[in-house]
Amino acid sequence: MKEKNKNTGELLRDTLDMLILKALSRGAMHGYGIAEVIGQASEEVLRVDEGALYPALHRLELRGLLTAEWGVSENNRRAKYYRLTAAGRRALGEESARWGRMAAAISRVMETA
Amino acid sequence: MFERSTNVWLRLKALFNRRRLDRDLDEEIRFHLAMREQKQREMGLSTEAARYATQQRFGNVTLVKERTREMHTFLTVESLWQDVRWAARGLRKSPGFLATVVLSLALGIGANSTMFSVINALMYRPLPYFDPGSLMVIWEFEQGHPESEEGPPIAELVDWNTQNHVFEDIALTSDTEGEPMAGLGEPEMIHQQFVTPNFFSVLRVKPVLGRIFSKGEMQDRSQAVVISHSFWEERFSKDPKAIGKAFQIAGVESTVVGIMPSGFAPFYGQKIDLWVPINPESARYSERKDRGWLMPIGRLKPGVTRGQAQVEMNLIERRLEQEYPRSNTGVRAKVLPLQEAVFGWARALYPLLGAVAFVLLIACLNVANLLQSRTEARRKEQAIRGSLGAPRRRLIQQVLIESGLLALLGGTLGVGFALLGIQLFRNLAENFPNTGAISIDGRVLLFTLSVSLLTAMLFGLGPAVQASRPDLNATLREGGHRTSAGARGRMRNVLAVSEVAFAMVLLIGAGLMINTVLHLTQVNPGFDPTNVMVARISLPEGGKYLERVPGGDMEKVTPLVTAFYRRLLEKLSVVPEIESVGMMSGMAREISFSVLGHPAPPPENRPSAVYQEASASLLETLRIPLKKGRFLRDSDRENMPWAAVVNETFARRYFPNENPIGQRVLLRHESYHVDEERPREIVGVIGDVRTFGLRENVPPMVYSSYLQQSAIYPGGCVLSHLSQDVVARLGLGSSSQNNFASIIKKAAQKIDLDQPVTTIMAMSRHLADSIDDFRLIMRLLEIFAGMALLLAIVGIYGVMSYFVSERIHEIGIRMALGAERWNVLALVTKLGLKLTVIGVATGAVLAVWLARLITRFLYGVSPADPTTLVVVGLVLATIALLACYIPAHRATKVDPVLALRHE
Repeated sequence: MKEKNKNTGELLRDTLDMLILKALSRGAMHGYGIAEVIGQASEEVLRVDEGALYPALHRLELRGLLTAEWGVSENNRRAKYYRLTAAGRRALGEESARWGRMAAAISRVMETA
Repeated sequence: MFERSTNVWLRLKALFNRRRLDRDLDEEIRFHLAMREQKQREMGLSTEAARYATQQRFGNVTLVKERTREMHTFLTVESLWQDVRWAARGLRKSPGFLATVVLSLALGIGANSTMFSVINALMYRPLPYFDPGSLMVIWEFEQGHPESEEGPPIAELVDWNTQNHVFEDIALTSDTEGEPMAGLGEPEMIHQQFVTPNFFSVLRVKPVLGRIFSKGEMQDRSQAVVISHSFWEERFSKDPKAIGKAFQIAGVESTVVGIMPSGFAPFYGQKIDLWVPINPESARYSERKDRGWLMPIGRLKPGVTRGQAQVEMNLIERRLEQEYPRSNTGVRAKVLPLQEAVFGWARALYPLLGAVAFVLLIACLNVANLLQSRTEARRKEQAIRGSLGAPRRRLIQQVLIESGLLALLGGTLGVGFALLGIQLFRNLAENFPNTGAISIDGRVLLFTLSVSLLTAMLFGLGPAVQASRPDLNATLREGGHRTSAGARGRMRNVLAVSEVAFAMVLLIGAGLMINTVLHLTQVNPGFDPTNVMVARISLPEGGKYLERVPGGDMEKVTPLVTAFYRRLLEKLSVVPEIESVGMMSGMAREISFSVLGHPAPPPENRPSAVYQEASASLLETLRIPLKKGRFLRDSDRENMPWAAVVNETFARRYFPNENPIGQRVLLRHESYHVDEERPREIVGVIGDVRTFGLRENVPPMVYSSYLQQSAIYPGGCVLSHLSQDVVARLGLGSSSQNNFASIIKKAAQKIDLDQPVTTIMAMSRHLADSIDDFRLIMRLLEIFAGMALLLAIVGIYGVMSYFVSERIHEIGIRMALGAERWNVLALVTKLGLKLTVIGVATGAVLAVWLARLITRFLYGVSPADPTTLVVVGLVLATIALLACYIPAHRATKVDPVLALRHE
């Protein structure tokens, strides 16, 4: 079960991680906010199962790319806010560069082929 | 890329803050859902539609929570721990189930650990010497007869040590031998080993005090001895001044030169008091006729393999064959690891390990059956968890953890049982070697752990597989009612049949052994052992009884020997408690012979027999039947023609068509190829006697009077003259079995103050001891079979009870429709009978097939003994049917109304 996840979900998961980091580059945000940002920015094309955000957020936190603390939301509710750490910022840099290279490469292939 | 660094600290924290983490996560997700719902409503959806859309977008909440929680765990350690707690809680709630399972497993595992500890102490635990792996025994054997393992002639050790390049050093050691000691309190037998001076350095032991033997040191008129730590404690109270103290061993002045560290005891863990040096370079051994009584031990040079050593020894043996054709023609050598050489025989115990494995297997089947019922009862719970999104992996893990937990509990308790089992084994196996070393060590614990986990796999696999395919819809819809009862019913039947079959195998094993022991105890010893006591007296080899003949390995006995024994017999014969007293050689030995007037036998194939000296009174004392002629007489003296008496086997084998009486034979001491100085005339034939032990076949025997012996003996042959077993028949009704010991000791010391008497015991006890191994195996198999029977009964009872409870509905209908009690009884009993009969039959086939493995322990009974098969089969079937009867009886008491209402 675990193995299967790894093979088929690897790309998706890493991409989701990257999108989360990107969303948080604007500042601290709660999970719902991140989902909204990703949805809106991609004009609702990238609409992941919102639930899938949470394992990813906790994973990134545990890896030290994010920190989290409880705060109060815009409508006065307790919410958990995530923020990039220095390591997270670095990872985002690396990832987006890599992504850029890859996207360019893919589109070149698609155009020429 | 994000995989690399993980914050271990956070994970640890999460592990301990489990509850808070859960609360936080709940709140986080609740917040998300609330926000999304609000947003949907703002977009104009109804409350209901908004909730629905939110659910749609979010996905399975339970699953998300579970996945997220998993992020906080070390791989799955934490979920494991959670399942362990969950399982523990579940088990606590059903103490009956828990107790039954753990107890059956503990019995099975404990029995296995016990047997393993026994074998471990002999075969697996490294011997307690430095680098024991490089210690090898080098046996010689006759070409074509690799089983004829013998030590080399003593002088050959010098050739081995100078010619080989593979051993650092090779030493010789004798078995532990009893010798009379005097000059240190009460005369007593001490246990000594003859060793070459390099023996201690080969084993790499250093004395705690004093020195070890120096090269060339040897026994002569006086000798140096190295004493064991326990002897030092017993005799010298650990006084350092023991070094230099002198006393007599077998009449030889012996001076203590060194003391070994405590616990040093080659090689069987028996009692050892001291070591006496042998010098292989001595001229005494130059004749090379003293093959066979010493064991060579070599230490391999670093990096040399056993194979290389073997090649080298082959080469050396060829060379020796050229150089010493007389002693070495056709002689080869084989190199064996020390442990193998000393304890390899313990492999014979493997079938017992197999037997306990069967016990455990039955226990496992029982547990599998119980677990099956439990799993079925919890199918609904599983199905709910499954539909709520618990991954199947978790469901399987859950079941496996429960079985693992049960197995570990069983294993732990099993270690406790093993402790008891070892104690029990020691009590059962008095004469078993090295029982003191049997203990629970790391290896046994590891074995127990592995066995426990293996059993968990065995009995947990079935339920786990079921948990992996929860038929959610069916289970939930049927409200937990049992589905596909047919398939699982068959499964149960297979379990019950297997249990009966395995129990049958063990019962037959036990039955065969009981038969064997019965046969052995009914073996006619050829004499009447009632009220007969036996005591051994060994006159010392040094001192006044023996003179060494210069040159060669010959010894001359002084007339004091016969004088001693004649006076002893005289003294004992007037003791009122003793009805009759006789004597025979304590050490019988091998002779070959030629018959005067018959063609000379081929030298390599001479007729042989076993030889014992005897007193004239032996026949009467032991009540041995005289078949022909006369027995030895006290008038058979030195100056009369030498007489001999043979047993029936001898007469039958060597004089099948002639009258043995009047034949004259010239006896030859083996293996020294030295003839007696005068021929003996056969004057009588007596019945076969089994004084050596009940299981032995009676060899052809020759008896001669202790008064008619040559004065000069080659090598160790003199022992059959020096060492005698005194047998005495006590008067009926005399309570003097214990008195006998003091009577004979007093008598011996009246003649020679320093003379000890040893191994004083009842003849019947001696005979019983001779079949000790058989008794031990019988007892063990009895115990195992008893356990198997008990477990199998519990098993079949469980299966039948389940069958009844499952059919309670059906039984109710039948009874409502007018079925009689006996119809119901028949319904249940029919199944019980079927299972039992199939089980017994399968078991019988399996048992006959497996009994080949214990053939060597069987005597007078064939592995497929039909009586044993039938009797055991009937007994087992009866007991199994009784176990069926209780559930069957209960079935007849079913109230149809209640049964039909039962959902």
